[in-house]
Amino acid sequence: MVSWQTRTAKLLSRLTIRQSLKRELSIADMRERIRSMERFFPSVPDDIHIENEPGLSHCDAEWLTPSSGPTERVILHLPGGAFMTRFVRAERLLLARMCRATNARGRLVFYRLAPENPYPAGLDDCMEAYQQILDLGIPPEHLIISGVSAGGCLALSVLLKARDLDLPMPAGAILMSPAADMTDESTDGSRVANAARDAVLSLERGDEIRRLYLGEHVELANHPYISPVLADYTGLPPLFFQVSGSEILLDDSHRCAERARACGVPAEVEVWDRMPHGWQALSFAPESGRAIARLADFIRERCP
Amino acid sequence: MSTTQSSKPSNPGHAFMRALRQDHVGLSRVMREIDTQAHRLTEDPEGARAILVDAFRYLLRYHHAYHHPREDRLFAHIRARDDELEQTLQKLSHEHESGEQETERLADDLTHASSEDLAGEYGAALVNRINDYLRHTRTHMRHEETVFYSRAERVLTDEDWLAITADDGPDDPITDIRTMRASYPALARSLDDPTSHLGLNRPERSSSNELRLQVLALTDLYGGLMYEAIDLTRTNFRRLKSARGPVSLVRAAGTIYADNLRFAGQCVTRPSRWAVNTGAGLIVGWLKPYMNDQQDRTGEQFGGE
Repeated sequence: MVSWQTRTAKLLSRLTIRQSLKRELSIADMRERIRSMERFFPSVPDDIHIENEPGLSHCDAEWLTPSSGPTERVILHLPGGAFMTRFVRAERLLLARMCRATNARGRLVFYRLAPENPYPAGLDDCMEAYQQILDLGIPPEHLIISGVSAGGCLALSVLLKARDLDLPMPAGAILMSPAADMTDESTDGSRVANAARDAVLSLERGDEIRRLYLGEHVELANHPYISPVLADYTGLPPLFFQVSGSEILLDDSHRCAERARACGVPAEVEVWDRMPHGWQALSFAPESGRAIARLADFIRERCP
Repeated sequence: MSTTQSSKPSNPGHAFMRALRQDHVGLSRVMREIDTQAHRLTEDPEGARAILVDAFRYLLRYHHAYHHPREDRLFAHIRARDDELEQTLQKLSHEHESGEQETERLADDLTHASSEDLAGEYGAALVNRINDYLRHTRTHMRHEETVFYSRAERVLTDEDWLAITADDGPDDPITDIRTMRASYPALARSLDDPTSHLGLNRPERSSSNELRLQVLALTDLYGGLMYEAIDLTRTNFRRLKSARGPVSLVRAAGTIYADNLRFAGQCVTRPSRWAVNTGAGLIVGWLKPYMNDQQDRTGEQFGGE
């Protein structure tokens, strides 16, 4: 049974976010509308301490520390938002809740956004954040990387690039509905089958998102750092996907997990029934609490 | 008793603490599985029951039999060295006891309930109890990590560690897949499955699915109209505000009137179009099985001749 809170959130996102994505809104307008929607998300609880130092070269980033006394664990979290916008308060709260559930410190990276900063600016910022954590002496076996939607795609890209650069791998990765396929080949599968059922996302502006994210490099859409569904996963740490069965991005998680398993990487996929995209961030919904408790279990399994 | 404190984590202490943390790996994995199965208990009582009973037995035979006694020995030694934690550690030890009793009760209640009971109100109440159990166990693990895991290696002496690590039991069986398959077959099968489905387990009927899609399309339609109405209102206000003098005001009013009229037309035509299309679609969907049936019979007749 889907809770009434989640049902209400689905209806509201269908009437607002989905409609924005279907219309010819400018990026500035879309960001403005998201900022006004964000007022409905509560701020981070008092028991989470936020600081900005040490920062990153080109973008803002925050450290979130639970006052309960953190363990050695660190969660590097990359927010979603179609590479062009983001729900700052919602992502901060999501990470705060994950940190509290696992006694971990959180690193929230507000990587540069397209179209002002197209690929690879965002990925570069995430790589800098990853490298910084290693430079701070945090052992990689205590590090988990996580991301929602576009942030999930970037989380996979960071893992692939870190492996290619011979950097140590983190203990695991949490991928919440990653948007892992930027190629233009969605003629079947969940992108078509769930087009009407998805309460948040609409692919009507998919081409535009790809064009704005890649800038002059549209030909790179097949590159594994941009479409991790096409990547070789050899050497990556265990992956944990959470996705809704009614999302257009459902197949991205399945395809990534299948490729990972084929390369000998443990990859689990949780398919949640009738949840909206990014439901983990809906702090008022019971399903969000349950999802975070399960993510925390995974983090404890990977970083004992 | 010696009061010499170790300047750095002693080897037996370090290995012991690592083993305790490692036990939480298995415990967390099983918590996740219990959560999955609890939520399908009322829909698939037999399938979920087998896995849940295995999971609770695993917890009783390993975590309550060996892991918690190890932690309790550790608590006792920390209490002797650091009375600041007396109350907290007492509470944690008490939670071990109450947790074991609840695990036993849940395993018994699941084993002895009929399938009908599990599918009904009794099953729903059991799911609530399992959810409470999960919440308590996870909170308990979190407290252990913050309260005493970091403290233990600081305050205990080599002598303490020797006493704690003596008479240690077996390793967590979850690390050995063969043991798990032999002792807890249903749980092992479920843990092996890399895909979990959370939520509805019964496939939806195609007719209700079709109806739901149409309702979603209607919501989209009204969402779109609402969105356009808001945009139109904003534009109208802008037009009125920018009017300078009576002539431009009349011109703005004319444009607003025309745009509003066009939008009102859309409000009438779009839902009507949806109603006609949906009605036709549902009728075709409803007739399809009869038409296919008729076609098959005709085919059989011709085939028979």
